Amino acid sequence: MASSSSSGLTFKLHPLVIVNISDHYTRVKSQMNHSSSATTTNDDNNNGAQPRVYGCVIGIQRGRTVEIFNSFELLYDPSTHSLDRAFLEKKQELYKKVFPHFYILGWYSTGSDAQESDMHIHKALMDINESPVYVLLNPSINPAQKDLPVTIFESVFILLLVNFYMSWVVIVVNPELHVIEGIPQLIFVRSSYTIETVEAERISVDHVAHLKPSDGGSAATQLAAHLTGIHSAIKMLNSRIRVLHHYLVAMQKGEIPCENSLLRQVSSLLRRLPAIESEKFQDDFLMEYNDTLLIAYLAMFTNCARYNILSFLPDFVSF
Amino acid sequence: MDIEQRQAELIDHFVKQASNQKGAALGSVIVEATSQPSLFAFSEILAVPNIAEFEGTENSKYLDMLRLFAHGTWSDYKNNAGHLPQLVPDQVLKLKQLTVLTLAETNKVLPYDELMEELDVTNVRELEDFLINECMYTGIVRGKLDQLRRCFEVQFAAGRDLRPGQLGSMIQTLSNWLTTSDNLLISIQEKIKWADSMNEMDKKHRKDLEEKVEEAKKSLSHKLHTVSRPTLTAEGTRRSTLNLVE
Repeated sequence: MASSSSSGLTFKLHPLVIVNISDHYTRVKSQMNHSSSATTTNDDNNNGAQPRVYGCVIGIQRGRTVEIFNSFELLYDPSTHSLDRAFLEKKQELYKKVFPHFYILGWYSTGSDAQESDMHIHKALMDINESPVYVLLNPSINPAQKDLPVTIFESVFILLLVNFYMSWVVIVVNPELHVIEGIPQLIFVRSSYTIETVEAERISVDHVAHLKPSDGGSAATQLAAHLTGIHSAIKMLNSRIRVLHHYLVAMQKGEIPCENSLLRQVSSLLRRLPAIESEKFQDDFLMEYNDTLLIAYLAMFTNCARYNILSFLPDFVSF
Repeated sequence: MDIEQRQAELIDHFVKQASNQKGAALGSVIVEATSQPSLFAFSEILAVPNIAEFEGTENSKYLDMLRLFAHGTWSDYKNNAGHLPQLVPDQVLKLKQLTVLTLAETNKVLPYDELMEELDVTNVRELEDFLINECMYTGIVRGKLDQLRRCFEVQFAAGRDLRPGQLGSMIQTLSNWLTTSDNLLISIQEKIKWADSMNEMDKKHRKDLEEKVEEAKKSLSHKLHTVSRPTLTAEGTRRSTLNLVE
């Protein structure tokens, strides 16, 4: 149902929105699990294994750039297949007071792909914003996946389906244009987006990425965590260098035409190696290493010496 | 790298000019290209077929000049001055800049004396002015000037055109880098395992110690009860009666 083309709008997504959506979903799921384990009824076919959560996204639209800053939750009314309108409007007013520039840009939900019923909600929002966006988060964790499980859909009208020499051509037209023929139908179209961060968001995302064991752990676990970080960084560097090496070897064999500008850049890069290899560095490094070892030794000494007072205690102890 | 981006347009411009013209006009194109202040890459122009025709003809000195600018230094020019056309001041400047780049290829720390000799500069002040104004402000070199030790520490130098044999050595350097980082990765993993195993051992040792202390405490209190306090506790009489029975 969704094909991949873009209508010229660029989307920028803030991490706050992603964290909000995933937090909402996690809360609902854990409350569902909690209540179903507390009450031993077997009506767990109510929501299925994965509940769907709904909400609204707000942000700023400047020209062709749509920037989604924040989001809030909405209640979904399964009987009318629509979102709670009164609540939405109240929330909108409240947010307007705090962030006067933010508009309702669309809505979000969770699931693996966009569905037919989503179009209802989408159309319902079209009176607030003439072309809302639909942000979909896929809550199933796929360890092989490299990028974020978030997709942004926008709605476009299909006007014409032309059979042109046995090949189907879909002409997608901007909804403002006059309808010529055919029945205009709304479909969801996947769009690409970029992640944009404010400084505060960057700090918190960084913090989450470097999760340390919460109890501070023993020295070994902290050391292991630190070393693992370094290990992954070096591994990434390694793969990049490997790509470069492969490229140069292919160029030498003649499979790829020589690109001089790239070769010049590589040569200037390689000239920076070895990065640190002067005698002065060795001296300083070894000095600092020895100092650290000495201090550790001294600490050990003091630790042991504290038990030596026991050696002259038996003189005073009498049974 | 921004230097490459800045040069890209100039390179395209000159390559187009060179391919459109022939003969003596081509010579003037070469002179113009080599005097251009922000152009340091000449291998694309060298690759233009019109210029390669110059080989062996009377205009071959232009070809040699272009080759000099692509790969050579100021001292090369001085040694061959008879064969090459006279250089305009712009070209002289550019050749000196390229000389600095070549020197930066081999060493990271360039002593002032060597620089002064290579560039035909007599005093330190002039050398530093040259380095600062012509090399660092143009962005082809980045580094620190150490006046006390009279040397120039290069942190970054733009690339010059590649000589044919250089590609092989570059690949060699890259593969060395790769092996070093691979080894480093392996040793980091070993360190992590070592840290974990030492942690385990330490925990076990501590547990053993605790157990020993508990045992020692128990045996001590046991001895206290039976040996040093022969009171008429129920336990004491029971024990003594038991001994009789046994």
